[in-house]
Amino acid sequence: MKQLLTAVIILTALTTQLHAATLEEKVVEHKMKNGMKLLLVERHTSPTVSAWIRFRVGSVDERSDERGIAHLLEHMLFKGTTTLGTKDFAAEKPLLDKIEEIAQALTVEKARHDKADVAKITGLEKQLASLEADASKYVIKDEFFELYSKNGGTGYNAFTSRDGTTYLISLPANKLELWAAIESDRLQNAVLREFYTERSVVMEERRRSYDADPESKLWETFVASSFLAHSYGQPTIGWMSDIENLTRTKAEQFFHSYYAPNNAIVAIVGDIDTKATIDMVERYFGAIKPGKEPPPVTTIEPKQSGERRIELVAEAEPTVIMGFHKPAIASPDDYVFDVINMILGSGRTSRFYKKLVIEKQVASDIGAFDAPGHRYPSMFVISANPRSPHTAREVEEAVQTELDLLKTVPVAKRDLQRILNKIEYEEARRMGTNGGLARNLTEYEATAGSWLYMTEHKSHIAKIVPEDIMRVAATYFTKENRTVGFITKKAGDK
Amino acid sequence: MRTLIISLCMLGTLTTPSFSAEQSLANPRTIKFPELNFQIPKAERVVLECGMPVYLLRDTELPIINLTAMVRVGSVYEPAAKSGLASMVGSVMRSGGAGGIAPEKMDDELEFMASAVESAIGSDMGTVSLATLKKNLGPTLQTFRDVLLLPDFKEKRLEIARSQVVEALRRQNDDPKEIAGREVGRAIYAGHPLGDITTFESVSSITRQDLVDFHQRYFRLDNMILAVSGDFEQAALIKELNSIFKPVKYSSIIELPQVAQPKQLFQGEVLYGKKDVNQTVIRMGHLGLTKEAPDIYAVRLLDYILGGSFTSRLTMEIRTNQGLAYSVGSHFDIGRRFTGSFVAETETKAESTAKTINLMKKIITELTKEPVSDAELSAAREYMINSFMFGFTSPSSIVNQRARLEYYGYPDGYLEKYRDNIAKVTKKDILSAALKYLHTDAFKLVVIGDSTKFDQPLSTFGTVRELDLKLNIPKPQ
Repeated sequence: MKQLLTAVIILTALTTQLHAATLEEKVVEHKMKNGMKLLLVERHTSPTVSAWIRFRVGSVDERSDERGIAHLLEHMLFKGTTTLGTKDFAAEKPLLDKIEEIAQALTVEKARHDKADVAKITGLEKQLASLEADASKYVIKDEFFELYSKNGGTGYNAFTSRDGTTYLISLPANKLELWAAIESDRLQNAVLREFYTERSVVMEERRRSYDADPESKLWETFVASSFLAHSYGQPTIGWMSDIENLTRTKAEQFFHSYYAPNNAIVAIVGDIDTKATIDMVERYFGAIKPGKEPPPVTTIEPKQSGERRIELVAEAEPTVIMGFHKPAIASPDDYVFDVINMILGSGRTSRFYKKLVIEKQVASDIGAFDAPGHRYPSMFVISANPRSPHTAREVEEAVQTELDLLKTVPVAKRDLQRILNKIEYEEARRMGTNGGLARNLTEYEATAGSWLYMTEHKSHIAKIVPEDIMRVAATYFTKENRTVGFITKKAGDK
Repeated sequence: MRTLIISLCMLGTLTTPSFSAEQSLANPRTIKFPELNFQIPKAERVVLECGMPVYLLRDTELPIINLTAMVRVGSVYEPAAKSGLASMVGSVMRSGGAGGIAPEKMDDELEFMASAVESAIGSDMGTVSLATLKKNLGPTLQTFRDVLLLPDFKEKRLEIARSQVVEALRRQNDDPKEIAGREVGRAIYAGHPLGDITTFESVSSITRQDLVDFHQRYFRLDNMILAVSGDFEQAALIKELNSIFKPVKYSSIIELPQVAQPKQLFQGEVLYGKKDVNQTVIRMGHLGLTKEAPDIYAVRLLDYILGGSFTSRLTMEIRTNQGLAYSVGSHFDIGRRFTGSFVAETETKAESTAKTINLMKKIITELTKEPVSDAELSAAREYMINSFMFGFTSPSSIVNQRARLEYYGYPDGYLEKYRDNIAKVTKKDILSAALKYLHTDAFKLVVIGDSTKFDQPLSTFGTVRELDLKLNIPKPQ
């Protein structure tokens, strides 16, 4: 192995590539018998490797009584296994069971709010604290992190979205086996210890990221108001009272329903030998049994039939968000939305920037994006900060003017060519970092059905003609299909 | 679309593999790895005919070229009454047209090629950067030169930039974290240009002539370093750079203003800003050290152990053990030209504000009382040495780093000796560094939140000075 690595490094130092390989030529796909999907790319730019695991489960998959669980579970999966993160699991286990029993009783009592028995709560809290103190004697804190970092691992993290949950790390190339050993153990033997402390951490995360930040709070309210039926509307982090009522038992159930090899996509990008890497991953993950196929979300958001206006009163300057329902990723109209997005919102030549920021100067900044997800029908969103003394209403009208223009005036050929040129550049650039490429491979494999979405994207865009843009604009950019959210500054604030 | 996903998933529910688990699976605690001898990648240094140094690293993996000019300029050189000038020069160099080409035309030409040229000026460095597909290098490089040396500073674009700064000032008190970050910096660097902030008055006083003069003074061929990476032919590139950066005879040699170091006045202060929120933002800190200090390696390890990692003391106690915060940590920003700072930070629910401040101070103080443990020292060392290679993962990061070392005047061999210097640090060194650089009594403590909900009054920590978070926009004259 040592010689092999040295040989590889010398080879790359000496060879000059004649042409830059395309992504299709570089990605090796391997499907394991248990359903786990591997996507591998050899890049010998530096002796490092990035490994990402994406599970096809996000907050969109949560029932109403478990909102926030996908994200809290993601936190919990850093807490170790039956052999890591513990000094003696056999001794720890009975304490964890007792903690769960008391914590559940406490959660139930607290949920009675005004009718709750205060003395009972105090008693249970005391009991819980003492059990947690006992259990902590067996805990080796954050051992996954410690093992990775002392081996030079960086960027060890995870994130949860509406659509999925991803665990990532970058390592020196000779240490990829550590990843396989830890991650295969985590998938099979995770222990959700320290659950109720971590639940408090997530409440602080919620306060930090939403409650105390006016723009994010508007965003959360806006999305919730845009989806009445579909679970895209619920915040990934959960509402505060949702988080307060989550239990370890619920998290374990969720874990067992969704975390199985057949629900996982792995991307390994960097200084690897593809075949040896496949063999190693097979060795560590191959024996893990597949789980049941998780069901898709069947709820369909009813067609919106009237404008929704959402106001948030806050200690902040005005902000405006406008959204229009649109189809899911890779549907024919979605490609047209990609073109519209670039025409309206990408760069200094974009219409929003030219019209609203430079010409009319009603906004200080403006952007357009797809949110809150991709797997299911989502929204085309425009977000802007009005420039005083101009109002949110003026910005809204100026935005709508640009949207309406797309319905009647065909987009110039040069504008469409500029978009294709930009895609050509992006196609090259996105192969430039291990982590970035691993991110894109897992993301598109999970949301669009295949990573090939990336390589085929440009040919879909190239087929779009000005009439497609006019049709899509006329279909979706209607008042009935529009939701507007805005911040009004609290009275008395100057 | 949905059917596609389902059919892909269905493929997975096949037979259970009968793989033997007997094959050796390593224990993560004891796993051994093949050796990897990491060599620090080098960039070539060439000097152009005009005297400008260029760091080059060719890499043909992608058909892309990146180029950055680092210019010896910064907001530390602007007068306090014109705070915001440097930043505005940085932004209008690009947005205000250059070389006689109108802004709209420049935007259109660059974006049609999917090329980018951007400029900015920070506190102690200015940058103009270029990113382009190889095939569009020629015209993009022309624009890069124009933005760098011949900006037109069109009046209309200056006014737009000014109005954007004004709008940002109107919004500067919207996010409690932003307020706290700004105010702790102001308090630590009070009386020094690094502590100056842009105000409605200062931004209003800036004229086009100020921009022209500021640019002219600093953006000279003898005051910058280039770094270029990607898919270029070296001889052709050097030739082209020599032709666009022809030698210039300046009437005098460049003279950069002398800016004094901030004064080390260790004096504690408590600052409070009122916001109607359920979570309190806490920042505390004071001045730190510069890269010339002999104990920077001990400080780097101290930093990791105290608040620079997920298993640091601050995170372990405040987040992991007590669930008081989502984000908690501390950081020594080692000054490259001016004395750096130490800042510890977190956010916690209003009801645990004082408890958390006390905990943070206690954890920081403990480092000045007793040596760190062997396990802490070795974990920090191993991380820093083993993750060192991640500073060199792309050609552009490699050349930019080399150019930055020259720009800030790091000693020769700094990178080459870095890991050995980290390996040499002892527990005693870390204790001495903690005693020298951590003074909890001298903290500038900034607290933003709703004091009516705090667990103890802030006056527990000292005399409280309340921040004025009103915008106080001056009336138009």
